[in-house]
Amino acid sequence: MAISEKDIVWVEEPSIGLWEAMYLPAIAGGLATTIRHVFQKPVTEEYPEVKPVLPLNYRGVHRLNRDEQGRVKCVACMLCATACPAHCIDIIGAPTPWEDRDKYPVKFEIDELRCIYCGMCEEACPVDAIELTSIFDLTGLSRQEMIFDKDKLLSVYDKTVQGGKDPARTTRGVLGPASENLVPAERMAWPIDELPSSQVNS
Amino acid sequence: MSTLTINGQDLTLGDDEQLNVVQAAKKAGVEIPHYCWHPSLSVVASCRMCLVEVGEKKPDGSVAMMPKLVPACQTPAKANTVVVTDSDKVKQAQAATLEYLLLNHPLDCPTCDQAGECFLQDYSFKFGNAETRLQEPKEIRKDKDYIGEQITLFTDRCVMCSRCVRFTREISGTAELQIVNRGTHAEIDIYPGNPCDNKLAGNVVDLCPVGALCSKDFLYKQRVWWLKSRNSVCPGCSTGCSIHVDQNEDHIYRLKPRENPLAQGDFMCDEGRFGFKYVQAEERLTAPEWKKPQPESNGSSSSVSRWSEIVNHVRESFRLVAKKSPRSIAAVFSPWMTCEEAYLLASWLKKLSPQVRLTLGPIPVVGEDDRYPKNWRGEPLEPTKFTIRAEKCPNRLGVAAVLSHFQSIREDFSSIFNAARAGELQAAYVVGGGPPGWLSSDEVKALAQVPLLVAQDILRSELTNAAQVVLPGASFAEKEGTYVNHAGLAQMILRSVHPVAEGYNDCRIFMEISQREGLFNARVMRKEIAEQISAFRPIASGDLGEYGVMLPALQGAAKQANLSEARQ
Amino acid sequence: MITVWAVKIGVVLGMILTSCAYLIYIERKLAAYMQDRIGPNRVGPFGLLQPLADGIKFLLKEDVVPRHCDRFLFYMAPSLAIMTTMLAFAVVPFGPTSTDPDEWQFVIAPGVDVGMVFIFAVGSLAVYSIILGGWASNNKYSMLGALRSSAQVISYEIPLGTSILGVVLLAGSLNLEDIIQFQASNGFLHWNLWTQPLAALIFATSALAESNRLPFDLPECEQELIGGYHTEYSAMKFAMFFLGEYTHVITISFLMSVLFLGGWHFPWIAEVGSHYNGVGAVKCGVLAAKVFAIIIFIMLIRWTIPRFRFDQLMSLAWQGLVPLSFFNLAFVMFAKQFNWPVWVLTVASLALLVGASALNGMRLQRRLRVGSVSSPALGKI
Repeated sequence: MAISEKDIVWVEEPSIGLWEAMYLPAIAGGLATTIRHVFQKPVTEEYPEVKPVLPLNYRGVHRLNRDEQGRVKCVACMLCATACPAHCIDIIGAPTPWEDRDKYPVKFEIDELRCIYCGMCEEACPVDAIELTSIFDLTGLSRQEMIFDKDKLLSVYDKTVQGGKDPARTTRGVLGPASENLVPAERMAWPIDELPSSQVNS
Repeated sequence: MSTLTINGQDLTLGDDEQLNVVQAAKKAGVEIPHYCWHPSLSVVASCRMCLVEVGEKKPDGSVAMMPKLVPACQTPAKANTVVVTDSDKVKQAQAATLEYLLLNHPLDCPTCDQAGECFLQDYSFKFGNAETRLQEPKEIRKDKDYIGEQITLFTDRCVMCSRCVRFTREISGTAELQIVNRGTHAEIDIYPGNPCDNKLAGNVVDLCPVGALCSKDFLYKQRVWWLKSRNSVCPGCSTGCSIHVDQNEDHIYRLKPRENPLAQGDFMCDEGRFGFKYVQAEERLTAPEWKKPQPESNGSSSSVSRWSEIVNHVRESFRLVAKKSPRSIAAVFSPWMTCEEAYLLASWLKKLSPQVRLTLGPIPVVGEDDRYPKNWRGEPLEPTKFTIRAEKCPNRLGVAAVLSHFQSIREDFSSIFNAARAGELQAAYVVGGGPPGWLSSDEVKALAQVPLLVAQDILRSELTNAAQVVLPGASFAEKEGTYVNHAGLAQMILRSVHPVAEGYNDCRIFMEISQREGLFNARVMRKEIAEQISAFRPIASGDLGEYGVMLPALQGAAKQANLSEARQ
Repeated sequence: MITVWAVKIGVVLGMILTSCAYLIYIERKLAAYMQDRIGPNRVGPFGLLQPLADGIKFLLKEDVVPRHCDRFLFYMAPSLAIMTTMLAFAVVPFGPTSTDPDEWQFVIAPGVDVGMVFIFAVGSLAVYSIILGGWASNNKYSMLGALRSSAQVISYEIPLGTSILGVVLLAGSLNLEDIIQFQASNGFLHWNLWTQPLAALIFATSALAESNRLPFDLPECEQELIGGYHTEYSAMKFAMFFLGEYTHVITISFLMSVLFLGGWHFPWIAEVGSHYNGVGAVKCGVLAAKVFAIIIFIMLIRWTIPRFRFDQLMSLAWQGLVPLSFFNLAFVMFAKQFNWPVWVLTVASLALLVGASALNGMRLQRRLRVGSVSSPALGKI
């Protein structure tokens, strides 16, 4: 579609007078700007010493959530593995040892090196079991240790819960029917502004 | 000739076509949703999903519609019938039926194995409402994992279509399943202490249009949308059931029957369904091996495992033996070989010398043909709806037909066996390719005396231990070719997974040994076979289609199936 | 006597090299502050040991020599770069001097009457190092960088020299010590900065171009030429180029303060007639402070003005600075001949600047009109 004439705004170039043609005032103005910046506070964050406070919807290391009874919340539906564009999620499902649920993951591995942290797994999850936390400084000395298994992913959950770094998305709203039979009413809709102030990023 | 109208579209049916409206509509390209109706089972019209408007076109051209909706599965498609499936009335009925079926459905699609091939999902998407109006809590029922050795029941997913019940009554005749209780409390169950363990039990899982009946073998193994399906033929017996091989990442997860009126119908037996596991067993041969005897050293042998070297060795040593004494070369063909493999191997050996002895190995026969349905005494009833054959191999007819082309006098395996035991054989080429236990240990002992024994098989066995050269071949799921079943029906098998590790497709091995140029292509090879062997004329196009092609020349041979030569 | 010279040379060179190292540190810090960053702070307190670490790194890094280069010239280029800039320092006074040979002279080679000529002669040798480096590297980018650089250095030498001629005429000597003496004896208002503001501007601009500093660092502009003439240089050889450049900056800062800011002279503190203990050191300090201020100014300029395009660079030299410097020289000649008061020179300088700017403005306006997009809609606005 061609751009219609009424949408075009013709801007005339500013005319150059004696003041501009002398250059020196502009240079002086520029110098003033640079000198002003010399006395401004640096914006640098000295990373290893000072850790940045990331927004709680940052997409960092994954975690596997636990349900009320401390069991893994995942039902091994493998929708995350289906949605994953990097094919970094590997799940083996099995019948649960529990009465109230059918299926759970006996193996749940995420290759954090292969992951592109797009968050599609989180979007796909029908039971809000997999979430991306704001942990970003993930390093390892071998490929093997960067493949996070179920225990490691659950420990990320424990760590983030204890550290008050729950991802903001946890409070999104009603969970899928297969996750829990009863969702406490107060958890069903927890507006973001009612979060404890420590959780809301400045 | 009868003409009926479906959604304003005329459809003409032949005189011999006795269809119901669901089938007729399908022919016209109109989908009528249905749960309880199945072409192989009786009509109960209980699910109410196929309700359509039906009327009759009068000779004067006016149409008289029935006041109420009628189930399409129960309505015969006869001349002058007018069917409407897209009116608001029908759509409302479909949506209401679905809403009703889903009232107590747990909606646990994420954990349900059926998700992805579930008719509740498909029909809800196409015909249903997006939301439920149910306010009350859903009724949760206990799962029944005691239904059968291979079958588990998720009771609350059931839509009471009763397909499984009718199957056990009408096809297997064993009647283990039943509906207990009435109305909204109705459930599928077994008679206490009488689980559904008949040889066709696995079919109820396929029949179940929802995720209520699940296979324990496949339970939670894979999501169905990851599975890639190829057409194949079950190698379990000479019935040659058409199947789908479902695999993901080179691992076969399940076999499912493929509808084929020429072969077996809609079903398959559990022996075939779960009997494919040897294909991915630990004992699979992974690399070729040539155990070189070293006479000067202390008896230990060095071994070679490079394909090119081994293939050269086999070719050259067979050529040398064929020059000196062609009668001392024998080849044992297995009934698991495809026709193409048999053709390639036979043509190579016969080119070495026409006197080379080719034989079809022992045919495994277990008991007698098992016919269904059975009565309560276990006696088969007429008409037979499904047969599990005693002959536990897929391609005896095909291999035998190829051999009889290359060799006018038939060599019995017993004569080869005796020759081997007497030490008359210099070289032997034994091809396996089936499940373990094909050759008895006596036979292996006899063959082990042959100085140059080449064993081409898929599993490590006594035979491969005794052989000088071991070539890892491909199982039925790893190769392409043609199987001819008991009735002379030639069917295609397609490659589903890659051969294990360094294993080669058998045809490739034969082509390399015989130094044929080019790559193996089953279609081209079929054309060549059809040209060379008159019995295979009907497959001259190279394409066998979905259902396969009948070979009339072999049908006669099938009738006088001589099992006496086979070992009981 | 020779030992005194040797010690003097050693001390001066040591001072220059050390200050080069720390000027780099200061420049990095200053650049960081100007960009709201922190700058080097990992090595030592406030990163003060950073120059040391850099030096160690330069010494220890692998010295890569490209396979198909001209080895002799490749090695000669960086040595030439550092040698010429160091050599120019021989005649630059870094404190008070006197005609009495027995007194302590704050200059390595006192009483060189052709001081300015010597500096220019040696300074223009610096272009050799660049050309040789670019040529010997056998690299297209190096060669292009070297060619640009030679064109640039040759072009800017003309306004550089011509702008100084006025100062030389006023002082009546090419000797740098005499020029300082001339400004100091006539007082603060006779600093050449006030009497020759236009010349000072031209000199500063040209000197920046001569030393290949931003905004005139086209020989090594990374976006177009990777590293320019020193693309192929690494380790200590690269460091020598770098040191040469910084020494050049120090040299021109000294020249700037000597020629236009009265050298060691400062009202009341360091006059010609000042006589108190340690007056030599104070004068030395005054000069050093002036030099430091100019270096800081150069750094500020570096992060304020973006790099010129090459055609802009050339047109600035040939169409702007060269004619202006000639006009300025002519005015000084008239003033000397007819004994006009010095304030006339100041006024004339400023008038020249304004006139040239007006001409420039008219030229730019014309170019705007010619180059502007013609559109039927343009008339409506």
